[in-house]
Amino acid sequence: MDRIINDFTINIATANGTGSQSANLILLQSLFEMGVPVSGKNLFPSNISGLPTWYIVRLSDRGYQAPGDRTHIQVLVNPATWEEDLAALEPGSVVIWNSDTKKKTVDRDDIISYPVPMSSLARKINPKIAKLVTNIIYVGVLAELLDIDQDCLESAVAKQFKGKDTAIELNITALGLGRDYCKEHLAKEDPYGAEKRTVEKPQFFIEGNEAAALGAHYGGAQLLAWYPITPSSSLAENIINYIPRLRTDEEGNATCAVIQAEDELAAAGMVLGAGWAGGRGMTATSGPGISLMQEFIGLAYFAEIPSVFWDVTRVGPSTGLPTRTQQSDIAMLYEGSHGDTQHIVLMPGTVEECFEFGWRAFDYTERFQTPVFGMSDLDLGMNRWACDGFTYPDIPMDRGKVVREKDVFEAFETFGRYLDVDGDGIPYRTLPGSGMAPILYRGTGHNPMGVYSEKPEDYFNLMARLKMKIENARDQLPAPILREEEECEVGIIFLGSMENSIQEIDDILEDTGMKVSQCRVRALPLHSEVEEFIRRHEVVIVLEINRDGQLYGILRRELPNELVTKVHSVAYSDGMPPRARIYAERILATLEEVKQ
Amino acid sequence: MSDKPARAIKLNVLNEPKDSYTGGPSSLCPGCGHDQISSVIINAAWENGIEPHRIAKMSGIGCSSKTPAYYLGQSHGFNTVHGRMPSVTTGAYAINKDLLYLGVSGDGDSASIGIGQLIHAIRRNMDMVYVLENNGVYGLTKGQYSATADVGSKKKKGAVNETQPIDLCALAINLGCTFVARSFSGSKKQLTSLIKAAMSHKGFALIDVISPCVTFNNNDESMRSYGYVKENEITLHMADYIPHFNPVEEIEVPEGHFRDITLHDGSTIRLETISEEHDPADAMAALTALHEAETTKKHVTGLLYFDPTKPSLAEDLGLVEQPLIDVPDEVLRPSKASLDALNAEFLA
Repeated sequence: MDRIINDFTINIATANGTGSQSANLILLQSLFEMGVPVSGKNLFPSNISGLPTWYIVRLSDRGYQAPGDRTHIQVLVNPATWEEDLAALEPGSVVIWNSDTKKKTVDRDDIISYPVPMSSLARKINPKIAKLVTNIIYVGVLAELLDIDQDCLESAVAKQFKGKDTAIELNITALGLGRDYCKEHLAKEDPYGAEKRTVEKPQFFIEGNEAAALGAHYGGAQLLAWYPITPSSSLAENIINYIPRLRTDEEGNATCAVIQAEDELAAAGMVLGAGWAGGRGMTATSGPGISLMQEFIGLAYFAEIPSVFWDVTRVGPSTGLPTRTQQSDIAMLYEGSHGDTQHIVLMPGTVEECFEFGWRAFDYTERFQTPVFGMSDLDLGMNRWACDGFTYPDIPMDRGKVVREKDVFEAFETFGRYLDVDGDGIPYRTLPGSGMAPILYRGTGHNPMGVYSEKPEDYFNLMARLKMKIENARDQLPAPILREEEECEVGIIFLGSMENSIQEIDDILEDTGMKVSQCRVRALPLHSEVEEFIRRHEVVIVLEINRDGQLYGILRRELPNELVTKVHSVAYSDGMPPRARIYAERILATLEEVKQ
Repeated sequence: MSDKPARAIKLNVLNEPKDSYTGGPSSLCPGCGHDQISSVIINAAWENGIEPHRIAKMSGIGCSSKTPAYYLGQSHGFNTVHGRMPSVTTGAYAINKDLLYLGVSGDGDSASIGIGQLIHAIRRNMDMVYVLENNGVYGLTKGQYSATADVGSKKKKGAVNETQPIDLCALAINLGCTFVARSFSGSKKQLTSLIKAAMSHKGFALIDVISPCVTFNNNDESMRSYGYVKENEITLHMADYIPHFNPVEEIEVPEGHFRDITLHDGSTIRLETISEEHDPADAMAALTALHEAETTKKHVTGLLYFDPTKPSLAEDLGLVEQPLIDVPDEVLRPSKASLDALNAEFLA
């Protein structure tokens, strides 16, 4: 039997709230410490305790991070999904199962079966917490079967339970019990194994939400106003957690305020209040929250109030699937609120970019005096991704056109809050408390002096200036990441967390003989390089994790007519993180249609 | 030289004329109660000697929320969205706690669409003056009942209101609001004292001002008409405001009983007893007064409830001494060394 090293997928079926998450993270971290390119996906229910949860660990020397097409090793702990999980396995798969599970067995003879009395082993350690320990037992079994390095395993345990010595000791004992049982009672029949790899550049694992939170701090966030919602809560909570370390003086007083609002409307209102007062305010939410914030988003656009909104997207519409991932808020963010609007949207695809856009969002919102959105998603935000480390901002904070000194103010021949002095669509502002050029900000029509107006020319000119202002932002925003083939045959435009599946998709497509270029867009409005990319390529696919092809819709409207026919949509979403083969097959089918 | 004698211009403690506190011309209906309140706000701010640029004028949407354009033309303001003024004010306050936040709202804004935000601003003891211009009807949309319309009251057009009103003063007292008053736009003296006292208060100060709508709700059958309120007002006490910068000795001591209440900035509000003495520290007495007024179809006015002991939002936020707006960028952005340390820890 040929061994299969670092190229397989493990699926662990447990119940929510049983402590399986920490066991699974230990497995993931220990493989990571061995230098194995590995990724983990948590598929969890909208529930505190009891409902089925799956954790997918994929080892891939090619660096593929999407969940694979199939499960190679199934861990069965949850009786609720037992039969379903078992039936889904392809012949030859491996099952590690809790043989103490009442009325459950593994009765397929076309698979490799490893029964382990996980509950009785766990009870040996401590009957009171047997359920928790059961999870760590299967990690011990996997460690033995796959030959996971003991030092790496112990280091992962230490990281997971930082400083909690009793927990560390207990988990290491449990891992040992799992290993020993495996050694004594199971004969290895499967081909799978993990092997150490030399890592050229040291990396660490971190969630996108934590990265974005750190980015916000390095952007000098002064107010976080938020309302809890999955999957963005951990972004807000990470901001809160880092305040003592990063944002307090010797007396323990902070330079970043946090207010848990009564709802998302109030959170948005507070962010606008902060921006109006001259500060850096932000919120973190998800699609349902953005839906509620629409009115304030329009006010921020029209009254030109700096404000940062992070949308960690989930599956909509409505409450949708709160714990599943999707890129379906693109259109809503780009054109949020009623009336003609257009907004800046930053779309990170990596944890490094979550950090970078975390601080840049404030610079953009103050430079352009308009709301700025960060759009992450559940997959990027709540799963752990390998990170090269965060880079300190290379430019000072851009506070935009704020007149703070009297002599600067007096140098203006005429000062009007909405007067386009520089011809770039961006006016100057003074702040409340300064005593300079006070105006009553409003969401109603106003003239360049900031005075109420319903005059046709005032309204028309204002809307034209706002459009120009955002239009000018295009090439000042993060440019797309291009990975181009000389042949310029097929181009794929994609965004966000699809970054983690694109190389695998690309490889599947190239296996059929075509040459594929990649263009990952990172901001709206789209950079002019995107149009150039389309111009250079014979046929272009816009790949998104949604039903309607929202980015495609934006491109269709904004591209010159002669390019529109080149561009085709492949949009698909079932709530799962993108599996490469599904998207690759849809791209192939679309290309086939295009040819005809 | 002119023969006319020089006109004496009154100046306040900052040597500012009242003109420094006025705003643009009002576009409300002539006789609107809201315009009276605007003029009281101008007087209160001027006489209290508050620098106009240190005031932030906040409002939502509606007739009342248009009024910030008519007073304090030297103050920045924000006419926000319907019912959401409290949240915008809260965010601004987090950034610049040194401004005096003067919110103006109406009964549509505060009792219906924005009741949640009002409640939560009270709950946080957000440091602001909240003037509620309460006329029982929606004006800009042409005369629909609001949620504060009294049972048995009838506006100019339409049926008698039979729906139970929301008494925002009672609600505020139940929520532990630290300064709760009711007044009448026609009671200029009382209202001026109350607004001045509210400006001296640290915490949420709600002043519910009955402010008749002359166009849609000033008919005889209305319980919020000028005529009805004048006839049916129960005044808890006369109110005098003694600013902290004015020696108390200069104030005329009234006859009979009075109660002095010291405010956070050292100023005093003197409540002169009319019949029975009302103790503003007694929440039950305040609720009883409101309840009795409602059952007898009266309006009770005065400082209903006052609690100077609760911490305001500023204390809860745990922020540095100086307002965040004054914290330099170099302090706001953590050092490079701090990020290097984080990166190293993550890698370890």
